[in-house]
Amino acid sequence: MTTLTLKVNGNDISREIEDRTSLADFLREDCGLTATHLGCEHGACGACSVLVDDRLTRSCLKFAVMCEGANVQTLEGFGTDPLMHALREAFHEAHALQCGFCTTGMLITARDLLARIPNPTEAIIRDALAGNICRCTGYAGIVHAIELAATKLAPEKA
Amino acid sequence: MKPAPFAYQRPSDLEAALAALAARQDSASLIAGGQSLVPLLNLRMTLCDALIDLGAIAELRATRDMGARIFIGAGVTHAMIEDGLVPDASNGLMRKAAAHIAYRAVRCHGTIGGSVAMADPAADWPCVLLALGATALLRGPAGDRIVDMDALLVGTYETSLQPGEIILGFEIDRLPTSARTAYVKSNRKTGAFATSLAVAVKTDTFARVTLGAASTRARILQATSAALAAGQDLATLEPIIARDVTSIMPQPDAYLQNLHETCVRRAIAEVLA
Amino acid sequence: MGADAHSSDGWIGASLLRKEDARHLAGKAMFVADVRLPGMQDIAFARSQIAHGRLNGVSKPSGYEAQVFTIDDFSSLQVLEAGPELDAFRQSPYPALASGKVRYVGQAVAACVAPTRARAEDIADLVAIDCDELPAVVDAIAAMSPTSARLFEGWPDNAYITRTIGAGEIPLMKDAPVRLHRKFRMNRQATVSLETRGCVAYWDARLDELLVYLSTQGGHVMRLGLARALGLPENQIRVIAPDVGGGFGGKNRLLPEEIAVCAIALKVDHPVRWIEDRREHLLASVHCRDHHYDLTICAERDGTIIGIEGDVHIDAGAYALWPTGSFMEASMAAGNLPGPYRVRALNVNTYTVATNKAPMGPYRGVARPGACFAIERLVDELALHLGVEPYALRKLNLVTREEMPYTTIAGLKLDTGDYHDALDTAAKMVDIAAIRSRQSARKPGEKRIGVGFAVYTEQSGHGVVEWSKRKSRVVPGYEAANVRMLPDGSVNIHVGVQNHGQGHETTLAQIAAHELGLHPAQIKIRYGDTATTPFGFGTFASRSIVFAGGAVGTTSRKLAEKIRLIGAHLLQADPKSVHIDNGTVVSGAGSVSFSEIALAANVRQEMLPAGMEPTLEMTGTYEPKESAGVFSYGAHAVIVSVDEDTGRVEILDYAVAEDCGTMINPMIVDGQVQGGIAQGIGTGLFEEIPFDAAGQPLATTFADYIMPCATEVPSVRIAHSTTPALVTEYGVKGVGEGGAIAPPAALANAVADAFRDCKASFNETPLTPRRIWEAAQAARGTAP
Ligand SMILES: Cc1cc2nc3c(=O)[nH]c(=O)nc-3n(C[C@H](O)[C@H](O)[C@H](O)COP(=O)(O)OP(=O)(O)OC[C@H]3O[C@@H](n4cnc5c(N)ncnc54)[C@H](O)[C@@H]3O)c2cc1C
Ligand code: FES
Ligand code: FES
Repeated sequence: MTTLTLKVNGNDISREIEDRTSLADFLREDCGLTATHLGCEHGACGACSVLVDDRLTRSCLKFAVMCEGANVQTLEGFGTDPLMHALREAFHEAHALQCGFCTTGMLITARDLLARIPNPTEAIIRDALAGNICRCTGYAGIVHAIELAATKLAPEKA
Repeated sequence: MKPAPFAYQRPSDLEAALAALAARQDSASLIAGGQSLVPLLNLRMTLCDALIDLGAIAELRATRDMGARIFIGAGVTHAMIEDGLVPDASNGLMRKAAAHIAYRAVRCHGTIGGSVAMADPAADWPCVLLALGATALLRGPAGDRIVDMDALLVGTYETSLQPGEIILGFEIDRLPTSARTAYVKSNRKTGAFATSLAVAVKTDTFARVTLGAASTRARILQATSAALAAGQDLATLEPIIARDVTSIMPQPDAYLQNLHETCVRRAIAEVLA
Repeated sequence: MGADAHSSDGWIGASLLRKEDARHLAGKAMFVADVRLPGMQDIAFARSQIAHGRLNGVSKPSGYEAQVFTIDDFSSLQVLEAGPELDAFRQSPYPALASGKVRYVGQAVAACVAPTRARAEDIADLVAIDCDELPAVVDAIAAMSPTSARLFEGWPDNAYITRTIGAGEIPLMKDAPVRLHRKFRMNRQATVSLETRGCVAYWDARLDELLVYLSTQGGHVMRLGLARALGLPENQIRVIAPDVGGGFGGKNRLLPEEIAVCAIALKVDHPVRWIEDRREHLLASVHCRDHHYDLTICAERDGTIIGIEGDVHIDAGAYALWPTGSFMEASMAAGNLPGPYRVRALNVNTYTVATNKAPMGPYRGVARPGACFAIERLVDELALHLGVEPYALRKLNLVTREEMPYTTIAGLKLDTGDYHDALDTAAKMVDIAAIRSRQSARKPGEKRIGVGFAVYTEQSGHGVVEWSKRKSRVVPGYEAANVRMLPDGSVNIHVGVQNHGQGHETTLAQIAAHELGLHPAQIKIRYGDTATTPFGFGTFASRSIVFAGGAVGTTSRKLAEKIRLIGAHLLQADPKSVHIDNGTVVSGAGSVSFSEIALAANVRQEMLPAGMEPTLEMTGTYEPKESAGVFSYGAHAVIVSVDEDTGRVEILDYAVAEDCGTMINPMIVDGQVQGGIAQGIGTGLFEEIPFDAAGQPLATTFADYIMPCATEVPSVRIAHSTTPALVTEYGVKGVGEGGAIAPPAALANAVADAFRDCKASFNETPLTPRRIWEAAQAARGTAP
């Protein structure tokens, strides 16, 4: 057991946990933050994506104890973030979700992309999603939604 | 799919890490990005009593540009290389390779040192570093030593790292600006490990062609490299490539033989273009 | 109002954005794994490591005896009879935990309970399973040899059922001018909903019932199975399916783990939870496909198809899953072999074979992707053999609009549509001539280009006649809707189907809005709780929009009539002179709002017409006028490039022309088509669970089981035409499965087209780079 101290969605948290607890299970079971989903637990589906110190992270591939002192952001923690807001709207408008299980991971992954590359081409978008499985949509809506969000966020052309 | 229990330590400097490793010896495992080790632990395909986390050791993320050579710390992530945040001695080869490893989230955490230490036969860094003639700096109970990649890579998931040793990083000779490089990866889908991986480096004075995923470890194609350095054209090289590939494959497989030859041929065509 | 195809209010046919999106986008959905209950403990299963063995005993690790359960701990559990109610279908009793024998790698043997899943897995690792290994049966065709090992003592061979499906002018085939023999194989895969299966259960003392949260496609039917297995009356079991993260058929069977979890919940005094992990999913959840075809197509010299004969083997795995097993695979595979073509004779022996692999279940498209692969490849092979364009050969044989309704040789009644138009549209979308000139301009070393077509039909909305013909244990011949207008005029509708991505909260609300003269926002669709919803069968077989849509529509229509009558009464107008408009009942210049009407009906009964029953609540069931089903259809056209040195395929363009009757929500239809095609691409190019000779599965993680992602699946171009069905409400037909049916065939045809010059044959899915390269090599080796 280790006492873990970190920030989750802006809140300081300190918990005694088993060392082997994954970040995903820590968030889901200990913090009650269930937007982070588990689709594979071996790094291959992206459903568990979160940000750790602003880095895109598969929370199934980190033990929570490895995140001592870190700043973790889950889908619950984006508040009024303009990128996330635009993405949520665009996902709705472009029918980018069906069952919704992949959606939270897709949103976090898409936000990471737009934060780095505000105007991605379709190929760049697809590449950024290459490790996120969606079994329902066939991706077309998701790719389109990210394009849409990027357009909405682009500063007005002079 | 949850790991068996283990003890966890998070040393804040190298000395502490080495001491922790020495104290626990064989039963302990280092963990860097965790991007290879955690899936194996989750699946209980690897067991260990203790994890020593290198994540808090800033020293391991150091990079140095020494003009003719650069040093890249073992803890540098694929993403740092992809994003050009570290010095480059490879005329862009390493950036290109980094961008083709797994997915962004994995690249944000997976480290070059972890990748080499893991010694997956299909991994990218062993093959690339071998082609670049890199050397690895190791520190262990017996002090520091420098080994070249060919000596570090031993077999499937096997290196010549001694118990208690940690990879500090890699030294890479700067390629002349005229040098040509190529990286050709064939895999089942974007981000997956290679089914075949050919890397070629050619300067005015030497050439090195390496092949990953074909054998128990990444290998230099010796005859091919020599013939390429000697200025042979692709047509002349083809039978040499074929022989080199055959010689490193553990068992004959017509499809893989052809696939590896194809990747090597394409890499060479690119450096000759 | 009534069964008009396009409503004047615009709700039928509107691409309304989905009502279910908001909670998912906020991260506030609730899947089974998100259920939190005080004292809940986790379950992990100890599973068989071997494919086939006699189980001598299971030893519980010392100190953990109370936390480990084997079949011996459940003396009263009943084993469910599964499969069709046919004497010829042999029973394969499937206990909740292995008993007597283990029959596949991954079969659950013991269940271990602990406060966390990790600790439950620790215990599972310590469970010792004592087995004498028996020879594994891994090849469905070899399994039928008299010398094969047997899975079930007492069976004369390894077949669950053997049947010959013959019809038409069979003798014509023997001397047909052209007889072309081919073998096809669609390999085994998993259904891979992104949310795995999961079950949380506990005894609710206050309600005196077992509460089961289950990730399922149909809670009512699962409750029936659970009640029988557990020996509880159904009114003491409540099944809640909260948000369900995809099903695709895999969650439409009751699996032994789910029974075991419930049985444990009855023995312990705290909630228990089992969340399947991905390895368990790939090992031991519903497996699918695994069809083997050995067929001869018989034709005239001009390419007119005469008939198809041969054998179909279905590798159905170790057990039949409750309720219906996988028996439909063989009959549907054979029955769909004629596809949308005029075929005069059919003579197919089918074998549904037990092997030492995880049990087979339904997966999007059920049997038809295999049948479509076989017939559409045969058509292309025939075209190649005769030297004609595959497109032209299809045109020659496709059923025409004038022939509709057309009963195929296998007895399927193709109801409405224009198959030629679909094919022509798809062909125009890809421009065959342009591809042919690109092909002839190709220089050596360049990638090969190919175009492939596949035409499919998708039966949906089939009811009592069809399912009882299939001897189904459960006959999903209707759906029910309970429509309730509350005192303020807002509406709750409870349905027995399950939404797990299909958008029912939106589409069913559109239908109700259309009938009730309301905005869909005023209508809430509820499902997934046996305590609150009327009995229904769930969502599968492309049935929900036909059945549940019909039930919601017809019941809402009846309720609207009552609302209208009350409105007329409140307006003191002649009922003949009033109509519903946008939440009001209108008579000339006067109007009364639904809220006033609903208030009267629910809490001010003195205002109702004399003799009228209070409340605005109706429950109705619906079955289409004819229950043989209605057929959606379409033509897929795909252009691929193939790297002949690596065998890698890239999809350059994918076009679909389809007709699913009236579309309630075209945006959702497009989503179903695109999503189905992604799964079809998975089947066609990527997904496979191979087994070694000992019956060990070789793809148990996503490292080996390749899932297509955004880099592998293109955005599909979709053209719709609309031929309303004649026997359903609004003219709808189902659309859930069609997308997944044709891609393996279209892709294989496209790859074959790319290698037309050397006549290579691509007859096994997935078309891995290795298979493509090897097929091309084989063709080159034998080519003159
Ligand atoms: C879905 C997925 C896809 C992937 N695809 C690819 C791919 O295409 N190509 C590719 O190359 N890789 C791929 N990887 C692996 C990835 O690159 C890993 O990041 C990398 O192999 C290991 O780096 P790590 O820092 O995460 O190491 P860890 O997982 O932390 O450790 C790996 C091993 O290295 C040891 N180790 C770590 N650091 C040191 C050190 N400094 N000294 C000594 N030993 C050390 C550890 O003890 C452990 O045995 C993939 C991973 C995933 C999850
Ligand atoms: S659950 Fe973490 S990547 Fe799949
Ligand atoms: S919407 Fe179901 S997995 Fe993506």
